[in-house]
Amino acid sequence: CEKDLDQTPLSSGSTPTFYQTQADFDQALSAAYAPLVAYPTRALNLSETRSDNIYGVDDLGVRDWAPVNNFSTALVNNPYVAEAWSGNYNGIFRVNTLLDQLANNGGVVADAARTRYEGEAKFLRAFYYFDLVRFFGKVPLIDKALVPAEVAKVPRTPVADVYNLIISDLQTAIANLPASYDGSVTADKPNVGRATSNAAKSLLALVYLTRSGPTYGIEGPGLATNEYTKALPLLNEVLNSGKYSFLASYPDIFSYTNENNKEVIFDIQFLSGGAGLGSDFPGLLVPDAYFTALKIPFASGGLEIRPIANDLLNSYPAGDVRKTFNFAQGYTSTTGFKETRWLMKKYLNESARGTTRTDWGINWIVLRYTDVLLMKAECILHGAGGSQAEVDDAVNRVRTRAGVTTKLTGVTLPQLMEERRRELAGEGSRWHDLVREGLVLTTINAWIPKEDTRNRMSRNVDANQIIYPVPQAERSAAPGLYDQNLGYQ
Amino acid sequence: LQARPFAKAVAEWQLTGRVVSANNEGLPGVTVVVKGTTNGTTTGADGGFTLSVPETAGSLVFSYIGYQTQERKFSGAETLTIKLVEDTKALDEVVVVGYGTQKKGDVTGAIASFNAEKLQERPLARVDQALVGQLAGVQVKQTTGVPGRGFSVQVRGAGSITANNEPLYVIDGFPLEAAAQNASGRFGSGSPLDNINPNDIENIEVLKDAAAAAIYGSRAANGVVLITTKRGKSGKPKINLNTYAGFTQAVRKLDMLNADEWIDRSVEIINANWVNSGPGRLATQTTTERQAALKVTTIDPKYMIDDRWLQPGHPGLDFVDWQKEAFRTGFTQDVQLAASGASDFVNYYVSGDYLKQDGMVIGLGYKRYSARANVEVKASDKFKFGLNISPSYSITNDPGVEGKDNLLHLVVTSSPVVESTAGLNTNTGNFTYYNWGTTRNSPLRLLQNSIGDTRTFRTLGTIYGEFQIVKGLALRSTANIDNTDAESKSYTPAFVNGSLGSRQAAGSYSGFRKQTFVNENTLTYSKTLGGKHDITGLAGYSYNFTKLYAQALSATGGFVNQAVTTLNAATNISGTGSNYTTETQSALISYFGRVQYAYAGKYLLSASIRRDGSSRFGENTKFGVFPAASLGWRISQESFMQGITPISDLKLRASLGYSGNNGIGDYSSIATLGIYNYTFGGAQASGQAPNRVNNPDLKWERSRTYDVGFDFGVLKNRLTGSFDYYTKTSKDLLLNIPVLSAAGFSTQLTNIGEVVNRGLELELTSHNLVGAFQWNTSVNVSHNSNKVVHLGVGDAPIEIVSAYDIPNNILKVGQPLYSIYVVKQNGILSQSDIDGGAALYGSETVGDPKYVDANGDGKIDPNDRQIVGHPNPNYIWGVTNSFRYKGFDLSVLVQGQNGGSIYSLFGRAVDRTGTGQVDNVLGLYRDRWRSPEDPGAGQRGKAYSTFGRIKNTDWLYSSDYYRVRNITLGYDLGLIIKKSIAQGARVYVTAENFFGHDKYTGGFNPEAVNTGGGDNNFPVGVDYGGLPLAKSLILGLNFTF
Repeated sequence: CEKDLDQTPLSSGSTPTFYQTQADFDQALSAAYAPLVAYPTRALNLSETRSDNIYGVDDLGVRDWAPVNNFSTALVNNPYVAEAWSGNYNGIFRVNTLLDQLANNGGVVADAARTRYEGEAKFLRAFYYFDLVRFFGKVPLIDKALVPAEVAKVPRTPVADVYNLIISDLQTAIANLPASYDGSVTADKPNVGRATSNAAKSLLALVYLTRSGPTYGIEGPGLATNEYTKALPLLNEVLNSGKYSFLASYPDIFSYTNENNKEVIFDIQFLSGGAGLGSDFPGLLVPDAYFTALKIPFASGGLEIRPIANDLLNSYPAGDVRKTFNFAQGYTSTTGFKETRWLMKKYLNESARGTTRTDWGINWIVLRYTDVLLMKAECILHGAGGSQAEVDDAVNRVRTRAGVTTKLTGVTLPQLMEERRRELAGEGSRWHDLVREGLVLTTINAWIPKEDTRNRMSRNVDANQIIYPVPQAERSAAPGLYDQNLGYQ
Repeated sequence: LQARPFAKAVAEWQLTGRVVSANNEGLPGVTVVVKGTTNGTTTGADGGFTLSVPETAGSLVFSYIGYQTQERKFSGAETLTIKLVEDTKALDEVVVVGYGTQKKGDVTGAIASFNAEKLQERPLARVDQALVGQLAGVQVKQTTGVPGRGFSVQVRGAGSITANNEPLYVIDGFPLEAAAQNASGRFGSGSPLDNINPNDIENIEVLKDAAAAAIYGSRAANGVVLITTKRGKSGKPKINLNTYAGFTQAVRKLDMLNADEWIDRSVEIINANWVNSGPGRLATQTTTERQAALKVTTIDPKYMIDDRWLQPGHPGLDFVDWQKEAFRTGFTQDVQLAASGASDFVNYYVSGDYLKQDGMVIGLGYKRYSARANVEVKASDKFKFGLNISPSYSITNDPGVEGKDNLLHLVVTSSPVVESTAGLNTNTGNFTYYNWGTTRNSPLRLLQNSIGDTRTFRTLGTIYGEFQIVKGLALRSTANIDNTDAESKSYTPAFVNGSLGSRQAAGSYSGFRKQTFVNENTLTYSKTLGGKHDITGLAGYSYNFTKLYAQALSATGGFVNQAVTTLNAATNISGTGSNYTTETQSALISYFGRVQYAYAGKYLLSASIRRDGSSRFGENTKFGVFPAASLGWRISQESFMQGITPISDLKLRASLGYSGNNGIGDYSSIATLGIYNYTFGGAQASGQAPNRVNNPDLKWERSRTYDVGFDFGVLKNRLTGSFDYYTKTSKDLLLNIPVLSAAGFSTQLTNIGEVVNRGLELELTSHNLVGAFQWNTSVNVSHNSNKVVHLGVGDAPIEIVSAYDIPNNILKVGQPLYSIYVVKQNGILSQSDIDGGAALYGSETVGDPKYVDANGDGKIDPNDRQIVGHPNPNYIWGVTNSFRYKGFDLSVLVQGQNGGSIYSLFGRAVDRTGTGQVDNVLGLYRDRWRSPEDPGAGQRGKAYSTFGRIKNTDWLYSSDYYRVRNITLGYDLGLIIKKSIAQGARVYVTAENFFGHDKYTGGFNPEAVNTGGGDNNFPVGVDYGGLPLAKSLILGLNFTF
């Protein structure tokens, strides 16, 4: 009877019986992608809400995003900050586990697939580490699956070393992965949304751009490395790859019926239908009452309006389709109350909603053609080569598509960044853009007094607030191992 | 003629007579023997006997099971009347211990006994309820007011931080699968005491120290509760009818603002909102002026009041007291019929019971049907064979009353003002919500129309055989099965759900089947050597297998037909998160042994050992060994004590033992895979990855208990009692210790950490008055304090992640478990405080609360939290006084606790800074700060506060209470009813929970647990809207035929 003491779970798999077939590895890879689904929400909470695109004053109670928005320094216990750290490391753990298992048991996987698995896994690892570096600066560098006791010996690693792994992983991804999957071939269908060499090139270019940004005297994402010349050729390769194009219509890029379009270089994929594969980001910045007003029977999510900053609304020239597509002015509640502030509806298509407010099916575009085009302009303005005409042309293409008729010439870097702000509003890019270009402190400190009529925001944002604090939970789990970022001690 | 001389040669005396009981009833079947011979007879139906004996003086011996044997001398023909005395002394003196019984005088462990005879005289639905206040060291918390649901039972405090803290229950030798309350205060797969009918219980013993409990090895660390059900007693078959019926009501309502006060607060907030919304805006401006300023013609309830509030009679508006609407007078009734009896060959007890309770809140109810048959057949002198079986079926109706956002919470916080057109139908059917009010659906209509039924069918069965191999050596084998089938159905009709225009029905179905099979085989040998050495040995083997099947389905997308509440009519059932079937199983294999030795009833020794193998433990640590030993010295038996007459009994005891806690869940040591799907190109891609860290060394928690105590009786046992002091050190605690997320997980289940519980227990029973007027008092008092000794690596304090704002519980070395860790509130900020540089939390202004800047850094933030209390009481106590005079009996049970604290998230829900205008708040806000001139009582700040909130002492309450649990007045109708109608009859009236006091003003019940307040790793249960206790007035009858 003592055999009965050896029980294995009946309703879940377990590690010893896994990683035995190629299908197992395929599942392990999908699971390494899965942590990406938290990225859009994180981008809205920690980048969009932190930036001058949102004036998010809470009316109905204290919301966890309020201190992010108003530059409180009490963020060590903030759940969004904690998630940014743990969510990315969860993804890194899955990549590391997969890579370790591939090295040990990978013989069961066909060679071509093994190469691709490695490339995709390393792309993901670079993606997760880059997100960490941009939000936290120094983070512990872990490149294989370690047990907790081993991890407790790894301190925060200098940003430069983390970048080395990111760059080397992306270079592997570029070498190992196909250029793109356009889904036109049936065999490609199950691959749409996977990392590609073009996605890796675009991300690597952004990494170089970010690393080239100013240091602000903190241990943040900018190392002032002046690598614009490394970024530019990568961007050109992507733009000239013939795999992507500049869509003629701005709304078409985000259409529920036009997913995986030619504009998309890398996106995070969602599927509605109640299987837990949908997302909450489309409705994240609008209040519950908005859905009630539309008679959509979503359970309350404790959501509150995070209004669009007037400064951003005013930035759009008259007739700019991006303003009316991305945003809408308020709504009228079922009881007749009229909300007059603007809210974000960029990803909302109520007729294509899923079963709950966390079951939207629209993909989140991380890297798209226009973004790459504007990054190219950014490189040129930093003297990486190319001409002012190319810069002006890129900006004017974007403006023309948006229905803005006035053409710009001699576009400056601040103008370019403002154009990015209008174009990429709601895409989680704004905060990182400001940081990268050294504009963040001047812009934010000038914006707050203008926007903050209710006097809720800090009036003196300093360089320490460019990155977030190490979550308290991490510092408590191994006292003394991680130092805290300045300004949050 | 021939016969006469022969007869004459053997001359005989004729002895005739009658054997009767104490109340002069004839006893049939009494054995009458001439001492030293085999000459004898048995008494007839009326107790009479006739016996011829040789003409020699001698003694007759009268013996009868359950009665003391009596001898009577004779020296000639006589007619005798013999009154036999019931052998209560002998019964009393045997206590049930693990795998056997023991003479009470020989017990060396710490055992608390509860004679359950009185249970049938109280309207109790559950066994755990019956234990409240009865035993020293046993804390029973009534964590829920939903009838039929399990309570929390803790023996000698909490030894475990995260694993199970509930004791092991053993019913008639059958160890039931232990189950822990989850953070929602529920036993997910049933409490071991579910559906057990308290009326069937004869006796309850709680094994408290390791010496008594360690025979149950890896399940004994939280104590063991041995429950013995009734057996037949020899004598005439008895039929008992016990029935009662009565009313129940909530002991209290919560003091919330009434409608006028709610309006007053609303006006204050709306005006302040308006004033703060822009320059030049004044509180004195009318709605029309505000509309003009905003250039709108609509009403914005954020900035404009409902003008009807201020009009006389508030036309068009109804004022509602939702608590009054929701609470009602409940009705309870119970009928039990039992038959019992015994002969030389068969012993039986058969009962059937029906209980019905309509709760004190609309929609709450409970019904239970149960039956029991305990039958033992003595097939021969050497072989006994028995069957205990108890099927039961219960239905709990709970529309979802307790817990966060559930109905009681809504009842309390819903705005007390509604449109007259909608009235109590606010936001249901064709009515929308009140523009200035909560957007929730009418809690009353929800209570009336939501379905939340749980049906449980449970069968407990034991079959056993006992074979006496040689004299003193017995082999006993048992096979036990406990099968529970439970299903829950919930359904909310469309018209009370969602908002106007998008109302949809929602429903779910879930259930489980839990099966526990136990086979135990024991060999017992007992022998008395030389008249002085009593030795009992025990060896055993036990096999335990439990399997749990669970399933669930749910639908939120509406139903196609409003008359159908089953899920086949749901529009959409999809997804895997809330729809599943799962199975888990576990095995426990044990070997155990025990030796008990007594020398002349004076020097006592007991030692036991158990080796447990469990499938839950890691592959490197499958087996654990749990030894224990105890010593006793009955000083009162010593010759030098014989002269000291006041002391009739005195025994010293000391014990040391190790026991375990295997409440770690199945498969916890294995790195399981989670399902983490992703999407590629619009199609689901299955994904799997480890969801926790592999731990092949994971094992039981280990407790070491020292116990010293003494039992005493003085003045011919007029006063008896016992005292214990113990130290229980629990090590290798299963902690989900926070680990660096860089490892891929935020926690790892590890055997680490140490907690110590120390305590004192005193039980006293005093027969204050004997004679015609009897007065007995039983007192139990216990003190327990616990302390964290070690935590994870480096002993770093662990703050318990709270689902609601920053952590408010901390685990810290040197501090009690789950110490309450919040900022102290200290009055209300005045302008001079602020001018004087008082520390502020965020954007606090005058009229907001003043908090203590504990770290002195000039600002209030989470770093200013301090330990302000601990959840466990320092003292728990119970006092029972019983009186008897002629046919009357009266008993009063008072029970209470002192020294603990509650940190109430329900308090927070009804009483937090910055609560919006729509929600209702505690009556405490009547005396809030309104202006520097009108600062109120100094406890609560202004209604309009925008600085947010921080966990602080506003929601800290003392958990001290005392409560008169039970007052029962009975009258023995036996004095006026003829014996031919009934052998015994008693009528009684009982008042439960009528009097008492507690300090929990932020909720209904200081012991309530109904909502998870921690996280998965530290699932702290908190009150987020638990029902008040019910007070009941019950009339009952006991008949014996």
